Amino acid sequence: MKNDLLKIGDQELGSRLFLGTGKFSSTAAMIEAVKASGTELVTVALRRFNRAQAEDDLYGPLSELKTVRLMPNTSGAMNAKEAIRAALLGRELSKSPFVKLEIHPNPHHLLPDPIETYEAAIELVKQDFLVLPYIPADPVLAKRLEDIGCAAVMPLGAAIGTGKGLATAEMIKIIVRDADIPVVVDAGLRAPSEAAAALEMGCSAVLVNSAIAAAEQPAAMGAAFKAGVEAGRAAYLAGLMPTSETAVASSPLTSFLSGSD
Amino acid sequence: MRLTVNGETHIHEGNGSVDALLDELGANKAHTALMVNGDVVPSGKWAETQLKENDSVEMLVFVGGG
Amino acid sequence: MKTLPDWLNPEPWLNREFTAADVQRAIYADAPNEKTLAALLSPTAGEFLELMAQRAQSITRRHFGRTISLYTPLYLSNFCNGGCRYCGLAADRRAQRTALSQEQLRHEMDAIQKMHFEELILLTGERVPEADVPYLCDCVAVAAEYIANVTIEVFPMAEAEYRQLADAGCTGVTIYQETYDPVVYEQMHRWGAKRDYLGRIDAPDRALRGGLRTAGIGALLGLADPRFDILCLYRHAKHLLKTYWQAGVSISFPRIRPQLGGFQPEHPVDERMLAQIIFALRICLPEVPLVLSTREPQRVRDGLAGVGISKMSVASKTTVGGYSTDSEESTEQFEISDDRDIPTFCAMLRAKGLEPVFKNWDSAYRGAAHYEKA
Repeated sequence: MKNDLLKIGDQELGSRLFLGTGKFSSTAAMIEAVKASGTELVTVALRRFNRAQAEDDLYGPLSELKTVRLMPNTSGAMNAKEAIRAALLGRELSKSPFVKLEIHPNPHHLLPDPIETYEAAIELVKQDFLVLPYIPADPVLAKRLEDIGCAAVMPLGAAIGTGKGLATAEMIKIIVRDADIPVVVDAGLRAPSEAAAALEMGCSAVLVNSAIAAAEQPAAMGAAFKAGVEAGRAAYLAGLMPTSETAVASSPLTSFLSGSD
Repeated sequence: MRLTVNGETHIHEGNGSVDALLDELGANKAHTALMVNGDVVPSGKWAETQLKENDSVEMLVFVGGG
Repeated sequence: MKTLPDWLNPEPWLNREFTAADVQRAIYADAPNEKTLAALLSPTAGEFLELMAQRAQSITRRHFGRTISLYTPLYLSNFCNGGCRYCGLAADRRAQRTALSQEQLRHEMDAIQKMHFEELILLTGERVPEADVPYLCDCVAVAAEYIANVTIEVFPMAEAEYRQLADAGCTGVTIYQETYDPVVYEQMHRWGAKRDYLGRIDAPDRALRGGLRTAGIGALLGLADPRFDILCLYRHAKHLLKTYWQAGVSISFPRIRPQLGGFQPEHPVDERMLAQIIFALRICLPEVPLVLSTREPQRVRDGLAGVGISKMSVASKTTVGGYSTDSEESTEQFEISDDRDIPTFCAMLRAKGLEPVFKNWDSAYRGAAHYEKA
C-alpha cells in the first residue's frame, strides 16, 4: 500500500513481510521465494567460510535483488559479547544498519535469552545500529528494550520451527498496545492466516522462515504469505467489528441516576 | 607464518597481510567478513593489516538464516 | 496566548456524529481508542447508559475484582495566593486561613491512622511561604511514619523538587489540569503561577521523572466542554501510561456543582453526563483506577461504586486538618456531599457485594526512608 510504509528508525519499507533465508533446499529456491513474497527485508546469518564445502553463495544473488535489504542476525552467539561481535561483522559485510539481535543459548528450543539480549542491545544502540531484538513475548522486556533505544521489538509467536502459530497472542496484544515502536512477530508462524492474525492485532510486520522454506512449494507459499500479510493489514486499517460480549444484567445499574442534577 | 584460521592451523605463505591471506584461501573478498584475534577488521584496512605468528583469524560469510 | 499542544488535540473526533451502531460497536470494542471514546461520549451514547454501565461493571470486576480502594484527603494548609475563579479559597476571597504545624500534623495522623487509612492525599493551595517544598517534605516525612502511601495534591513544581518529596517518602502526585481548553484556562486563572498552562500539563511528567510512582489527573468538569476535556484527558493519560510505563496513572472526576451565589460553570455536567464519562473511560482505559470523592452525593457514589469507579474517598474533611479532635477552625475548600462515616460507607459497599480495601500491599517492601530507621 502506497501510504502505509513501515518505518523502522529512519528506514522505510514497503512490505510488512520479512523473510528468513535459512532451511531452503537451495539458494535458487530461496531467491524464488524471496521474489514471490515481495519482501524488502531478509535475514542472513554468519558462518565460517569453508572452501572445502561447496557452499551456495547467498550474498551474490541476494544483492542482485535491488529492492531487498539485508538484516544480518546474530544467531550462533551465546552471549552479549558474541552477539555484538556478530553484529559488527554483519554490518561490515552488508553495510546495512539493521541487525536482528538473537541470542539463544539452548540449541534445542532456541528460545531467546532476555538478559544477554538486553545487554547486547544497549551496546549496539550506542554503536548506531537499528536493533531489532528477538525476544520472548514479554511486555515488560519489550518496554525496557524500547526505553534503551531499540528500533523495533520482535516477540516470538512460538518457538522457532514449531509452527505453533501465535501461541503468545495475548502477550503480543499487550506489547502492541503499549509500544511506541513497531512490533514484528517472529518465529512460530506456520500459515498465512496466522500472519494475517498478527497484523490484525496491530503488529507492524511478521518475520517468516520455516513456514515458507519447508513448504511443499516455497515460492507459492511466499506469495500466499504476501497475500495474508496484506489482508491482515488492510483489515486492521479497516477496523474489525468487535467480538460479541453478552451483558448479563440482573437489575438495571443506572436507575440511581435522576433526570437532572 | 603459522596462523589459526577458522579454528584450524594454517601455514600462510604470502606477505602476511590480511589481503594476501584471503587471496591464498580463494575467498570472495566482497562476500567475506574478517576478525583477527577477536577484533573486526574492516575491508578498507585489509591491505595494511599485518598478521603476526599465531594470530587467530575468523573469516565469515553470509549463509541462510532466520 | 497559549495553545493546546498538538499531542493532546482531540480533533478529528470532537464534533463527529455517531450513530447508534457506532455506539454499540464502541461499547464492545476489543481494542478501544480515541474514536471509541468519542463515540461513547457522544449525545447518541447518552441513550445507551444502561448498556455502558453493564460493560463498565464487567470490566471493573475483571481488573479490580469486587473491591473498592479507600483513601482520605488531608489539607495541610489553605493559604493561597492564587486567583482561580471557581474556588472559594482564592486569594481575594475571605477565608479562615491556617496551616498545620508539625505537632498538629501528628495529631491529625494519629486520628487518621486510627481510622485505618493507608493512603492519604496531602493538599495545599498555590505555592506560598507558609507551605512551600521544605514544609511539604517535612509533612510527607511525618505522614510516612504512620501510613504506607502518602501522595500530594499541591502546586506544580520542578523535577528536582518532586525528587525531594520522593526522597522524603512521597509515593505519588495528583494534579488536575482543571481544563485543557487554553482560552478557558486563561479566563479561569486570573493571576499568579497557576497561569502557566503548559507547565501544569507537564507537571505529572516531571513528577514521574522525579521518582514519584503514581500520577492522578483529571479535569474540573463544568469549566469547559466536557467532551473536549475528557478527550484531551484520555490523550494525556495514554501519554503518561506509555512514557512512564512503570508508573501508575489514575483519573478523578471533580465536578463543579452550581451553587447559589457561587461560581456558575459555563458547561454544567449533570449526573447522567458524569456517569456517561465514567463508563466511557472505564471501557477505554480498562486498567486505570477511576476515583470518585465525597464531593458527590451519596446516591451517585453508591450507584457508581464498582461500575467504573474503583477508588473512593470516605469520611473526608476539606478544612485544614479536621480529623483530630483539636483541629482549628478553617474554611473548607468544597462542600462535602457524602459525609457518611467509615462503618456506614463500608456497610453500603458490602451490601453491593464490594469489599473495601485500605491497604496497598506492595508498599511493604519499598525502601522508603522510614523503613530504614533502626
